Amino acid sequence: MSLSWLTGPIFEKELRVSSRRRRNYVLRFAYLALLTGFLALFWLQAVQIGGGNLNQVSRMAEAGKGITSFVIWFQFIATQIIALIMLSNSISDEVYNRTLGLLMTTPINSFQIVIGKLLSKLLQIILILGISLPLLAIIRVFGGVPWIYVVSSLCVTLTAVIFVGSLSLFFSVFSRRAYVVIIVVILTLFVVFGLLPWLSGFLYFFVTGNWPGPRLTAAIFFPNPYGVMTYSTAMMISPMGAGGMAARLWPVHCGIMLAASSAILFLSVCVVRKVALRQATGQTAVRSSKKARTLSESPSKVAPPRRVAGPVVMWKELRTPVLGRRKIRMIIAIGIGLILLGITYALGWFENVLDEKSVHMAYVIIFTAIGMLFTTILPATCITSEKESQAWPLLLATTLSDWQILFGKFAGVVRRCMPIWCLLFGHIIVFSLVGYIHPVAIVHFGILVAWIVVFLSGTGLYFSTRFKHTTTAVIANFALAGVIWALVPIVMLMIVGITQGDIDLVSGLMDTHPFFQAGVAVIGATGSSGIYYWPGMESSDVAESTIWMLACMVGYMLIGWLFMWRAKYRLRRNIF
Amino acid sequence: MIKTQNLSKNYGDLTAVGNLNLTIEQGDIFGFIGPNGAGKTTTMRILVTLLEPTHGTAFINGLDVRKHGKKVRRLVGYMPDFMGVYDDLKVFEYLEFFAAAFSIERRKRKGIVEGVLELTDLQSKQSATVDSLSRGMQQRLGLARVLIHDPKVLILDEPASGLDPRARIEIRELLRELKRMGKTIMISSHILSELEEICDHIGIIEHGRMVFSGTLADIRPHLGIQSKVRVKVTANQDKAVELLSALPPIREVEVVDDYISVTFHEGKEGDGLIARSLVEAKFDLVSLQPEQLKLDDAFLQLTKGMVH
Repeated sequence: MSLSWLTGPIFEKELRVSSRRRRNYVLRFAYLALLTGFLALFWLQAVQIGGGNLNQVSRMAEAGKGITSFVIWFQFIATQIIALIMLSNSISDEVYNRTLGLLMTTPINSFQIVIGKLLSKLLQIILILGISLPLLAIIRVFGGVPWIYVVSSLCVTLTAVIFVGSLSLFFSVFSRRAYVVIIVVILTLFVVFGLLPWLSGFLYFFVTGNWPGPRLTAAIFFPNPYGVMTYSTAMMISPMGAGGMAARLWPVHCGIMLAASSAILFLSVCVVRKVALRQATGQTAVRSSKKARTLSESPSKVAPPRRVAGPVVMWKELRTPVLGRRKIRMIIAIGIGLILLGITYALGWFENVLDEKSVHMAYVIIFTAIGMLFTTILPATCITSEKESQAWPLLLATTLSDWQILFGKFAGVVRRCMPIWCLLFGHIIVFSLVGYIHPVAIVHFGILVAWIVVFLSGTGLYFSTRFKHTTTAVIANFALAGVIWALVPIVMLMIVGITQGDIDLVSGLMDTHPFFQAGVAVIGATGSSGIYYWPGMESSDVAESTIWMLACMVGYMLIGWLFMWRAKYRLRRNIF
Repeated sequence: MIKTQNLSKNYGDLTAVGNLNLTIEQGDIFGFIGPNGAGKTTTMRILVTLLEPTHGTAFINGLDVRKHGKKVRRLVGYMPDFMGVYDDLKVFEYLEFFAAAFSIERRKRKGIVEGVLELTDLQSKQSATVDSLSRGMQQRLGLARVLIHDPKVLILDEPASGLDPRARIEIRELLRELKRMGKTIMISSHILSELEEICDHIGIIEHGRMVFSGTLADIRPHLGIQSKVRVKVTANQDKAVELLSALPPIREVEVVDDYISVTFHEGKEGDGLIARSLVEAKFDLVSLQPEQLKLDDAFLQLTKGMVH
């Protein structure tokens, strides 16, 4: 039976278009390369220790478990990222190219559009998942890995991918920019699967005076794919496990995830229809028409134009509203975020844990991560977005020098990142005033944030000049940060494990890691010890730590400037 | 004012512009015509320093566009075929932004912006956001932006595309006004009848190569087409044909509808002789007018309609 009633011609069209996009091949290649590379390292690590045949055979089962759980987790995370990226512009492209309204003039309906888009991308992800199946089957020969673990993990992965893909597709209706969709989805997942379960546990404790029992904990984490995967893997690895509980849990979890995805897709269908009809009838900008009506009714409401002052590109960048165009929505979202954050502080206060090092480290790491997220994205967008709107040649046709343009863009990035970093500095300053954190942390975090901003702005501006599309530039900047601060340390750790080499090299590398620097700086500044524990060094005092952080800052800033210099060199290339 | 010498631009194996030689004198309006993909936009982008030529050179006011990019940009106002806009700026801010980008002093900017707004009839829209403007208004804003730094040379890529007839006429008048102000204008358009009315010179480009450059009057000899006149008399059309056929400079006479089409021998003209002969032979001469070669016809004859 043909499935064309479900997707219409959208499915085939999407597959055809996808096959022509280089980005999809790069994603698949990167997936395979990473999977193969990590597997090779994992394998070498598992078999390099000597011993007799019997010992080898017994360890094969352990190696099999390790490799299986690694492959399962790798594809669990990687396929979600791929789904997120692939669907992040699925509807927005149709809106931006004005083809959505065109589709509405054909017998294709919004249901077929949404399902066609989703299924076409899912098919590619299922193919990727399929690549690792023979490998998992071979590893099972080693023993120790129950079938139920493999099957349940694949199902959990698939439903998680469908859920993330549906979310990405849903948000792509509202934003033209794929990176905005990516951020919103990440934040939504963080809130739904991270913050809310954690807060509900705390609230339960706050109300009843007891922590949730095993059943309630299971209920809280039941719909959470990350929780289910963690639980399932732990059950497989533990000798008591073999998937007993997971075998009962995962079908229900998958059912919940599918139901949630269906609800999101239903909403998407409704919203897509609304947007498509609006486009088909020529009402491309409801906001504009409302605004125009308001203005025509009361011309006195029109704010006078602002005069250009100071460096021109910087003026233009600063003119861009920090909260974007949807101010009210942004204020509501920020308000909700701050309320949730306030609740965490309130709970911490009731629990009397706000003077604990680990609590401050958690806050600081989260705030640094959020700051880095935005600092990675914003510089990568500032030139490509002008290329996409075709305003870039106009700017280049003026007498502004390349450095004037570049510094203007850099200043704009710094200004737009500042509110995000205020979270981190707000935390440090408030707890310095309270006396829980030593004020020297303000200096340390000043150094840390300075180099993060310069480094990521330099690389982001470079990628922004290098690529035509914002999404590509943003992904490239993320990939660079991921390679430097995640991939390289992990690979080095594995190589050190295989070669029994010197761990100091890895420790030294970790000393330059922004999260490690943030963690060490806040732990050193919390309490009265004043000792900073750097992984690659002996414990050091404030002065030594400051010197080390300054040295790192100089190094990273130099690299950042180098990228910016390359960006200047490429500024007038790939204009069109 | 504008000169190119063997200008070429290759994209891999594809030659977008090949050995293009072009000269535009100061104060001229030069119509740049060609099929889609012929190389017009590429040539214009090279002239405004947005693209580097693969070979050859281009000069604006004697300045090599490769070596003196900044000076050239000061001399040139460029309007691309698709004008990008900054969503968050208002019309006045948009224009002042570009005035500042061309290093115009702050105290002078307000007056200049108001001047170009008036010239392009956009005063009433100065507080509107740029993206809320209609296509026609955005084209006007594009022209206003081009004029903001008072450039000597205007390079306009399809400035009238997507405009309604009234807006086209207004832009045509504006271009005439700019010519009177002494600007050199290079303009590309697919609406050949419009170019015919305002251009002093035209260049026809195909496959990146100039197939014709000169005035409209130059096209006829270039194509080997003889001069023609249309003669209309009140009566005795057949006798008038007989009379005209006997005149020495005339090669061919034929009746088309209610007028007589007279073709001269190559290089010969004789409007006066025809009039005199007809009047002396007591014909009632109603009209005598040279038959114009339409730019559309010339374009069709000169180009093969092939694109890259």
